[in-house]
Amino acid sequence: MANISCTDIVKSYGAHPVIEGMNLDIPDHEFVVFLGPSGCGKSTMLRMIAGLEEVTGGRIVIGGTDVTTLPPGERGVAMVFQSYALYPHMSVADNITFGLRRQGIARAEIAPRLAHVAQMLGLEPYLDRKPKNLSGGQQQRVAMARAMIKTPKVFLFDEPLSNLDAKLREKLRTEIRKMHLQLKTTTIFVTHDQLEAMTIADRIVLMRDGRIEQMGSPDEIFERPATRFVADFIGTPAMNFLHATMQDGHVARAGNIALRLSPTDFPRLRPGQNVELGLRPARMKLCPEGTPGALTGTVVLVENMGAEGQVITDVDGHEMSFTTPAFRGLAIGDRVSFAIDPGHVHAFDPQSGHSLREE
Amino acid sequence: MGKLISAIGVRVLLAVLIVVALGPILWTVLGAFKELRDIVTPVPKLVFEPTLDNFATILRNPTIRDGLLHSAIVVSVSVLIGALLGIPAAHVLARHARRYGDDVQFFVLSLRFMPPVAIAIPFIVIYLDLGIYDTLFGLILVYLITTISTVIWLAVPAFERVPQNIEEAAAMEGCGPAEIFWRFSLPVAAPSLFGALVFTFVLVWNELLLALTLAAQNATLPVVAASITSLGKEVPWGVINAATVVLVLPPLVFIGLLMGLLNTMVRSGPK
Ligand SMILES: Nc1ncnc2c1ncn2[C@@H]1O[C@H](COP(=O)(O)OP(=O)(O)O)[C@@H](O)[C@H]1O
Ligand SMILES: [Mg+2]
Repeated sequence: MANISCTDIVKSYGAHPVIEGMNLDIPDHEFVVFLGPSGCGKSTMLRMIAGLEEVTGGRIVIGGTDVTTLPPGERGVAMVFQSYALYPHMSVADNITFGLRRQGIARAEIAPRLAHVAQMLGLEPYLDRKPKNLSGGQQQRVAMARAMIKTPKVFLFDEPLSNLDAKLREKLRTEIRKMHLQLKTTTIFVTHDQLEAMTIADRIVLMRDGRIEQMGSPDEIFERPATRFVADFIGTPAMNFLHATMQDGHVARAGNIALRLSPTDFPRLRPGQNVELGLRPARMKLCPEGTPGALTGTVVLVENMGAEGQVITDVDGHEMSFTTPAFRGLAIGDRVSFAIDPGHVHAFDPQSGHSLREE
Repeated sequence: MGKLISAIGVRVLLAVLIVVALGPILWTVLGAFKELRDIVTPVPKLVFEPTLDNFATILRNPTIRDGLLHSAIVVSVSVLIGALLGIPAAHVLARHARRYGDDVQFFVLSLRFMPPVAIAIPFIVIYLDLGIYDTLFGLILVYLITTISTVIWLAVPAFERVPQNIEEAAAMEGCGPAEIFWRFSLPVAAPSLFGALVFTFVLVWNELLLALTLAAQNATLPVVAASITSLGKEVPWGVINAATVVLVLPPLVFIGLLMGLLNTMVRSGPK
């Protein structure tokens, strides 16, 4: 078990910088998710911690040891790849125990450890099979068993669930989370799927173009997005954005739309200032027409999501969506009003994209 | 019913194709066990008294016996060295020098564009100067050009098909580069490498022109076999057939041995 500390990590391929000065501290036992769009450098960062890529600059310390120049095998980390990376010429049991056998650990000691991880991941019936005779989910379980049996200081996962179908992905996600509650091994998990990140993480590191855009618990990231990029990236359905101008009385106006913002959240907004408002569809509620602060528009589309529905409306030329359980009573062309609690309105600087909220 | 007929049709067609393809080889093998009078009959004989005389003639004939021995030495040494040098080189090209890989591969391939005669004549001069003309060592040396280049050319793609993540997973378990190559890249690429080695072996085993020009006393089997056919009117068909069988047999044995070796190698790593 160990904490991880990355200082001023830089990585470039030739002249092309991929990671531009990352600083990151992960306490012992934490489950951290690197989240971000494809190509933002998540895997590169993870692979540098694993030792599979050299850093161009910076220092990586795991459990008090500077591992920056150590080979992967001496860092005490285990990694699970998206492509499983099982050894095709070995049986499942041999795959799992290879690392231990290589270290010269006695068979008598390996056997119970193998039995334990196989039982934990439900792999007992498959131990004699070759990896190619397993399904994708089973193969990923073998890869996890192979990482677990070494009892490493740190687990690294690089999009381990991306090759699986949705249902299996959800199941394995829960299993990984449960496993972490049991083992408490420090874990870094890479994904581009924001829902996966929200459900599994203690802390999310949201990355964009080789930099950390925001770091925080799933709640912080969801409720207090530091930038418009974070706000847009997190949450389904995606946030509504609306360019507006501040007026007297802390009211943001865009055409006929007028929304009152909380003066405690946004004390420094001045009349005449341009802002970009962010409204989460899930934070809005149907309300009677004429309610103060309500938005009124016509229904353009209703998307059934089961328990709830997403209603896409046209409000004074702006497309706005909200979710409601009462979507079944709405039809295209209906007039509809909905409101948001001022505490849930986000406002961003239109130029920099930074949140204008004061903590 | 129509399906059944077409299925039968396909099978018959396949059977015919196999007979056409294997027929000559089979006929040669049968001929190797026939006496001359059974071979030259106007009506082909399928039932005859088999004899080992032809093989005895060959193995008693010192020229053929030596040819066989020379071939075995020259080919096995040049393929072995070709594999020992070519396979690790191919792995390095595939993994660590990808940007040079295409150039190297083309260069290697271009070696094969050259007509062998163009190589043979300068080699005669050089070999005479160096005093290695008509030696097995000299033959091995030229064949190494073929074996190393062919092995590299075929093994680079074989290693490229080994998923890089597998090698990385091995590195995470603490394996160094040599161990990764030996325990993972090599076994995973083994089936393709096997094909590469067999191809290389057959290429040099059948090589005639260089052997003909660079050796006289130390001729290899193809040279000897070629000379039997020019013995004149009294063609010893049975002996030729037997010689052919002897010529074909070593590659088959070689393939068998290699398969056995691979099967043991491809097991599960450390015990
Ligand atoms: N070996 C490499 N050579 C050059 N560029 C690379 C290499 N590996 C990754 N990159 C680049 O680095 C960036 C980040 O890649 P990666 O870390 O794989 O992104 P992510 O995992 O977030 O999708 C991408 O723009 C990618 O093109
Ligand atoms: Mg990636």
